[in-house]
Amino acid sequence: MIAVFGMILGVVLGLIFKPDVPLWMEPYLPIAVVAAMDAVFGALRAYFEGLFSDKVFVVSFISNVVIAALIVFIGDKLGVGAQLSTGVVVVLGIRIFTNVAAIRRHLFHA
Amino acid sequence: MTDPKHSTVAASPPPPRDSAATLGLLGYVTAHALDDDYREVARARGGRPPARRTAWLTVLVLAAFMLLIITAATQTSRNAVAEAHERADLVKQVKSKQATVDAANTLIDQLRAQNSTLTSDLASNDKLSSGTRTTLGTLGVLSGISAVHGPGVEITVDDAPESHSTRQTVLDSDLQLLVNGLWQSGAEAIAINGERLTALTAVRQAGSAIDVNYHNLSRPYVVRAIGNPATMPARLADTAGGQAWLDLHQQLGLRFDVRTRTRLDLPAADVPTLRSVKPAVKQTAKGETP
Repeated sequence: MIAVFGMILGVVLGLIFKPDVPLWMEPYLPIAVVAAMDAVFGALRAYFEGLFSDKVFVVSFISNVVIAALIVFIGDKLGVGAQLSTGVVVVLGIRIFTNVAAIRRHLFHA
Repeated sequence: MTDPKHSTVAASPPPPRDSAATLGLLGYVTAHALDDDYREVARARGGRPPARRTAWLTVLVLAAFMLLIITAATQTSRNAVAEAHERADLVKQVKSKQATVDAANTLIDQLRAQNSTLTSDLASNDKLSSGTRTTLGTLGVLSGISAVHGPGVEITVDDAPESHSTRQTVLDSDLQLLVNGLWQSGAEAIAINGERLTALTAVRQAGSAIDVNYHNLSRPYVVRAIGNPATMPARLADTAGGQAWLDLHQQLGLRFDVRTRTRLDLPAADVPTLRSVKPAVKQTAKGETP
């Protein structure tokens, strides 16, 4: 319940303030979102498996976002930003799918 | 919600760390989809329920997560709107340029049509001017201001061999009679001793000599007339001037030789000073002879 409250708070804040993303940050935003999704779905699976820990969630969320953005940033500097972005999205996507599959098993026992 | 206690932890046990290298990359990623830290922390906790002290941190992070998603979504839609605006602008520019090109093409067509009209006008003007030139040439022949050549007759007249009186000499009136007779018999141009006769020429006596165009002539008098050499001598004989000269030749012995020539060259008369000239017909543009 408290998690749903937090999400609603984020949506409301976003809709109210409509924060403007600086131009230099724009390429990293989608990757950051995917990394954050990975952390959130991992936390949800941990919750269903009884392993959830606030500290681990917060740390994994922040480190995921920062590292994903950092990889793309360095890739941009090296001239292989597009390839590294693809790699990050593939790995995170596999993790997201796996975690969501586990969540589904817990929810529907299937 | 189901009880998470009898969960699938046993179904998917964490593989040993050192086996990571032997697993395939995809298999490793799948096996480690859940952060290992969760299990480490849970094991350290030893089965006790997690502490809720730091729940506000989770709330904060989830809020940040949704904020991130909303921001990304707004940014993308905003960019899409901007791109749509740009696209509309470009479409508008293309359309306006196309209109400009169309207008230019229309102008080109108009100018081409105008050009062809002007070309045909020019051609008809050329025709007109050539007609005018022909008229001018005819007038030059008739008025005597241009030199002419052509077939004609050459008449040589002179005093009688032993002239004792003015009756037996050629007088200005005799030449006038002859010239008028030649005009009547179809002469187109006449010259006496190289003096071209025009409408303003006077043939008259000045002392003992005859003046033509204010030039004294000396005997014998050679009258050249351009015209049809086949008919002119006969027609001359029918005129009053011709009759008079035949009489003079027979009665008084004046010389009167008529010869036909296939080519005669007559000089141009001095261009007379025009004193008052008015067009007889106003519509000269239609190419009519005034």
